[in-house]
Amino acid sequence: MQVFLQTLIGGVTFGAVYALVAMGFSIVYRTMGLVNFAHGSVVMIGAYAASTFYLATRLPFAIAIAVAIAVTGLIGLIIERFLRPLENKDFTLMLIGTIGFGAVLEAGAVLIWGATGHAVPSPVPTEPLDLGGIRIPTYSLLVIAVAAAATGLLALFLQRTKRGAAMQAVAMDHQAATAVGIHVGRSNAMAFAIGAGLAALAGSLIGPMLYVNPTMGGTLGIKGFAAAMLGGFGSMPGAIVGGMTFGLLDAFAAGNFQEYSELVTFLVFAVIVMIRPTGVFGETTVNRA
Amino acid sequence: MSSARITISAAALIALAACSAPGQQAGQEADTTGPIKIANINAQSGQLSPLGHWEHKGVKLAIDEANKAGGVGGRQIKLDLFDSQGDPTVGTNLARKISSEGYVAMLGTAESAVTLAMAPILKDAKIPNITSGQSPKLAELKSPFLFLNAPTSVTFDETLAKYLVDDKGYKKIALISNNGAYGAGEHDAFLAALKSRNITAIADEVVTPDQKDFNANLAKIREQGPEVLFIGAEEVQSGLIAKQSRELGLKSLFAGGAPMGTDVYATTAGLGNVEGSIVSSPYLSNEASEPIKEFAAKYKAVYNEDARMHVAKAYDGASILIEALKQTKGAGGQPLADAIRGVKRAGLLGDYAYDESGVGIHATKIGLVKDGKVVPESAS
Repeated sequence: MQVFLQTLIGGVTFGAVYALVAMGFSIVYRTMGLVNFAHGSVVMIGAYAASTFYLATRLPFAIAIAVAIAVTGLIGLIIERFLRPLENKDFTLMLIGTIGFGAVLEAGAVLIWGATGHAVPSPVPTEPLDLGGIRIPTYSLLVIAVAAAATGLLALFLQRTKRGAAMQAVAMDHQAATAVGIHVGRSNAMAFAIGAGLAALAGSLIGPMLYVNPTMGGTLGIKGFAAAMLGGFGSMPGAIVGGMTFGLLDAFAAGNFQEYSELVTFLVFAVIVMIRPTGVFGETTVNRA
Repeated sequence: MSSARITISAAALIALAACSAPGQQAGQEADTTGPIKIANINAQSGQLSPLGHWEHKGVKLAIDEANKAGGVGGRQIKLDLFDSQGDPTVGTNLARKISSEGYVAMLGTAESAVTLAMAPILKDAKIPNITSGQSPKLAELKSPFLFLNAPTSVTFDETLAKYLVDDKGYKKIALISNNGAYGAGEHDAFLAALKSRNITAIADEVVTPDQKDFNANLAKIREQGPEVLFIGAEEVQSGLIAKQSRELGLKSLFAGGAPMGTDVYATTAGLGNVEGSIVSSPYLSNEASEPIKEFAAKYKAVYNEDARMHVAKAYDGASILIEALKQTKGAGGQPLADAIRGVKRAGLLGDYAYDESGVGIHATKIGLVKDGKVVPESAS
């Protein structure tokens, strides 16, 4: 039982991060119908930015995260601005464009920070909580709480604000949205900026749990992408469920299948997607090409 | 008809000449007059790039010194760096590239899996390769063109098992290792060393090289209450395992190979978490001897960073190659391989004497991690 609960804690912690990454993928997809393959690299830039401001300028961790979100938000806006001329014209070129941006960001990180990476000390120095032998790292609690708060804020933004409602309208029917005076380009830009901000948040939170380096976005990007698919690409609740499911699947596979854990994780993922190609909360897909 | 045959035969001869191994027919003139082309292949990007960067700096330091001192018989050594990305497929492509472009030898890679993939191509091309990989599988190849800068995991783990079991009397030992080429080599070698002492590991968890969450594996290990946890993984993953072990309340001593003697391991895990870790390595610290101190000072002056085992390992390998090249007057192929095998050198990692498997060093020492640095066990 102890092993089960301990595995659960690890799975939920990483699942919370995957959920944030998946939400970033989903918000861009539901608005533009585009999979942003640069998203994993934006996660990495977010991790670097937050850890650099935290370690080098000694900013409090929360402020370092806020600065990282601003930095990646700007990167999101730049990516969208470059892709905008292709909107409604060449979907494949847009996809390739995002792959290219991913490569550029990785190369940029090597130029700025070097190839070797760095470790980030935990901003929460307190000991893990011990509940009858089950150890819960305090930093894990922080990660889960911040991810939950970010999810709540995003839901409020999308459902309770005019800009959020406009983004929802563009996602549903961009032509009708244009007809009622919604600026589709601006809505797309906002989706990219929010997606990049979520990536930065995920990267900032995972930094002290891992080792920040230029290639860390690869695995996180793939797992976040798989989580988004599992939940239903474009669905925000789906991204959360997908992230958690993927985190737990990963954790339990590691405990039970050892060196075959990744094989098992992706086999189960493939079976779920085969049975339900649109994911758990699958929505009608958007294709604006 | 006959002229067509002649044309085909001529084309075939030209193609054969073009495919010949470097240092043989092709470019023979360049072999004796121009610069001597040495390839340094290591990961310059990707997860394993820190190792590749350190290795390249070590190699470059040795080559630059040799060139400043007049090169090899008046010829300069031209060192070209190629990025293997830590990927065996990229490595094999690079092996083909250097075998067709007149390189007489290759230094690198730091990854056993990449070296294993490249070895058959380099053997066919008769290009001696001095690698920093340490998987026992490299020695099992018995390639006459493959040389190891360091002992294999068998030596590392035999020394470790002797210290833990024979000297300290630990019996409750658990293992966690990854199934990559390095981790699998460490796993098998340490398990064999325990078996030869009639010790059965109380837990044996295998993870994947990309795994980041070890809660499930470590919770299972914790239930067994080991005195020692053997970690068979690279620097970052070893650090993550150590960190998560302490978060789970695991109090065992950590033990492992050279990756656990690095600052990457210590900073990833947190200095407090790795205090007392037991390391088996041929290179324990930059203060271990006068020659090592001199080397570390020289390295610091050039690169403004502390030297470490991967740097020293690569420097040793490059120095041996230079010594061998002096003997062959810059010639490659079999004569160079024979010359490398004949080099006896007191290096930074120990006394080099290559055996028939291409292993140059046959002993490691035990060190302990104190305040994030490794100190020799006897000095602790």
